[in-house]
Amino acid sequence: MAKHADLSIDFLGFKCENPFFLSSSPVSGTYEMCSKFLEAGGGGVFYKTLTTTIPEECSPRFDASKKEGTPFISFKNMEQTSDKPYKDNLEAMRKLKKNYPNKLIIGSIMGMDEENWEEMARDYTELGIDMLELNFSCPQMTYEGMGSDVGASVELIDKYVRAVRRGSNLPLIAKMTPNIEKMEIPARAAINAGAQAISTINTIKAITAMDFDHFTALPVINGKSSISGMSGKATKPIALRFITNMAQDPELQGIPLSGIGGIENWEDAAEFIMAGASNVQFTTSVMQYGYRIVEDMISGLSIYLAEKGFEKLEDFVGIALKNIIPADDLERDFKIQPKIDYDKCVGCGRCYISCFDGAHQAIEWDNEKRKPTIDEEKCVGCQLCLHVCPVYDCITPGKITFKEEDQFGKGSLTDWKEDTVNKRDIIVGEYKRP
Amino acid sequence: MSDSNNVGIKEGISLKPAQGYLEETVPPFTPFMAMEEASRCLLCYNPPCSEGCPADTNPGDFIRAIRFRNFMGAAEIIRSNNILGGVCARVCPYEKTCEGACERSGIDKPIQIGRLQRFITDYEKTTGFQVLEAPKATKEKVAMIGSGPASLSAAATLAMKGYPVTIFEEKEKAGGVLSYGIVPARLPQYVVDEEIEYVTNLGVEIKLNTKVGKDIFLEDLRKQGYKAIMLGAGMQISRTLDVPGKELNGVTTAVEYLAKARSNSSDFNAGKHVVVIGGGDVALDCATTARLKDADSVTVLYRRTREEAPANRQELEYTESLGINFAFTLSPAVFEGENGKVTVVKANGTRSKSAMKLEADTVVFAIGQQPEDFSKIIEGIGLDKNNFVTSLENGITNIPDIFVAGDIDLNAKKTVVNSVQGGKIAAASIEKYLQKGGK
Repeated sequence: MAKHADLSIDFLGFKCENPFFLSSSPVSGTYEMCSKFLEAGGGGVFYKTLTTTIPEECSPRFDASKKEGTPFISFKNMEQTSDKPYKDNLEAMRKLKKNYPNKLIIGSIMGMDEENWEEMARDYTELGIDMLELNFSCPQMTYEGMGSDVGASVELIDKYVRAVRRGSNLPLIAKMTPNIEKMEIPARAAINAGAQAISTINTIKAITAMDFDHFTALPVINGKSSISGMSGKATKPIALRFITNMAQDPELQGIPLSGIGGIENWEDAAEFIMAGASNVQFTTSVMQYGYRIVEDMISGLSIYLAEKGFEKLEDFVGIALKNIIPADDLERDFKIQPKIDYDKCVGCGRCYISCFDGAHQAIEWDNEKRKPTIDEEKCVGCQLCLHVCPVYDCITPGKITFKEEDQFGKGSLTDWKEDTVNKRDIIVGEYKRP
Repeated sequence: MSDSNNVGIKEGISLKPAQGYLEETVPPFTPFMAMEEASRCLLCYNPPCSEGCPADTNPGDFIRAIRFRNFMGAAEIIRSNNILGGVCARVCPYEKTCEGACERSGIDKPIQIGRLQRFITDYEKTTGFQVLEAPKATKEKVAMIGSGPASLSAAATLAMKGYPVTIFEEKEKAGGVLSYGIVPARLPQYVVDEEIEYVTNLGVEIKLNTKVGKDIFLEDLRKQGYKAIMLGAGMQISRTLDVPGKELNGVTTAVEYLAKARSNSSDFNAGKHVVVIGGGDVALDCATTARLKDADSVTVLYRRTREEAPANRQELEYTESLGINFAFTLSPAVFEGENGKVTVVKANGTRSKSAMKLEADTVVFAIGQQPEDFSKIIEGIGLDKNNFVTSLENGITNIPDIFVAGDIDLNAKKTVVNSVQGGKIAAASIEKYLQKGGK
């Protein structure tokens, strides 16, 4: 068997078998569901959020956006908290912890007021589960002052974290909403009030698509629809940004992060971990493909880490943070021009179109030979052509040139020369990943 | 006007195939293509493709791994189940196995599972990723006779369990049918060599130019401490038909024709006008070989119809695309010759009173093969009238320390992938036998 790195990792004092968890959502709503995921290899579950009153749900309640022939890339969900009796859910969590003592079992709470938050925290703590997640972020709650309304208010966060703390001595994870500009502010408030970790993102308020006959958003609920939470692969870039923000915030140093948002394979998970998350949660990909996806997450990540020489996952956490810097600190005195491999080029002309219409008109097109040629004078090295080329490994990074220093010590706009003297090393990023 | 030799040939169509004899016919997938193909996969529940694989290579799982960008995990799935993953990716009769079971066929056409498997095994090789590592070989010694797919698979399985294995091969090259019996256009030699190297890297030793029963005897093996011996010698003898004139020069068999072509032997002469008799994959390999080795006309004679021919459909279409002629429902009646050399094949209709006369300087019998007679080499071994070993089940024979796998096993289906599975099963039987102290 291939070498596999150890994926076990600490989270708030709990030794997790691996960093792959179900997020608190429709996929973690019963004992049987959670159990099936844990049996498939998952490291733990965030059980579906409960409220003491069962919400009323609409039908249908999902929509999805697609692109060309892909499976859906984002998903809209209007479901609220658990529709099962409160007591039954508590029993399910108790049983999960009893039957899976080595898996991380976390209960997710959403109270209506301080008293309710505290009371629920007490109920949960008696179950013997490991931690509590405080849901400050569900964007589709139909009651005011719940869900993402809380996550946007420093006052409410402070009040509710303290209420939960009164009712429980378990580690607390505050689940934050991305429907806000600076997540650091509510996150700091949660930590200052007594939470130990942050999980994010919850879903993004969205409309995935419109109905062309009934002139409303999708899904159509008897002729009407609403804005609600979007999840899935398309949310990943936003989620990675928020995790990076949290991890780089000076006031949140040392606070463990749990990453969520569009994770469907080990590479997605690894990206969150590189950005500072010590574990990840997912739902939409499970709704699409089932719990079995965790098998390839475990296999893929552990093989990758072993091949890269990492002995334990912990060493990988936040490894990219030092290399993600403010845009004005980036070096801007060189350009990497693309090169075209004419043995591979099929003559589709897509690079020519994109360069003309979307970049710097730096590709010439020979219509007779159906052949693109890069004009080195005009090419600024943006590499748009490389991204649109549909042929594997056809357009790749090529010649590197440097701004010529003029007498004032500033680079001129036109003179670019190859560095044949110092042979300065420039790191070229990954560009061939399918 | 075109010159007289080309009369009747459409302009722009070459008489000679563009492809060289050593060139692989099907191009490899690039990573983009592999992702695209894998994303066509419906990711079935209890995937029928996996059930369709005789060697449990588990395509359902490895395609899913590709779909979820886990290429190394995919390599692990393939290699830990099928040591000859790269070979099977090229020679499997997919349409009857995994691809035949693919549910995507209900929408358009099956996932190209063989090509995906090839993509992953190539990826594994180019990245130098090593899936299998054998433990120290400290257990009882095991010998294999023949180095074809069944022995390679059994040897790798046993090596992974800590058994030292030695393979005895009579020829100068290991691989059996893989090195001698398939056209390189379908299975390049480097693929065979790399997979054999994979097996030897697990600690398996291969003794070449060593025929059991001639260079070394069964009793020697026992005396040298081999506690179990597996017979995986395949089918070395081509069947022929009793056709008048079959002793003429130029009349040969598939085994001989392919082996000579493949080992690039200097006395190999493809022939100018070649007639191949048979309708299976081996017949197609002979025809392809002839054509790619520059024969002017190649005709395949088959006694049944195209639909009844056991050959793989894709291969059949490919063979036709090379400009090879097919004559169905015809059987050879007589070979005529001049100066002891065949010149003409006369054939009669099997389902009509048709008759056909073909110019031929080479005639190749490809109507099936059978094993050589092992009754003297392994005394007392149970054989049927065609020399196949009458195994009981799971590769166990009537002699306690003798096991069997691959084509020579009467009970086996005669394909590479079935031999891989046969080798795995026989290895399990050997392990069980040795664990019980050789009883």
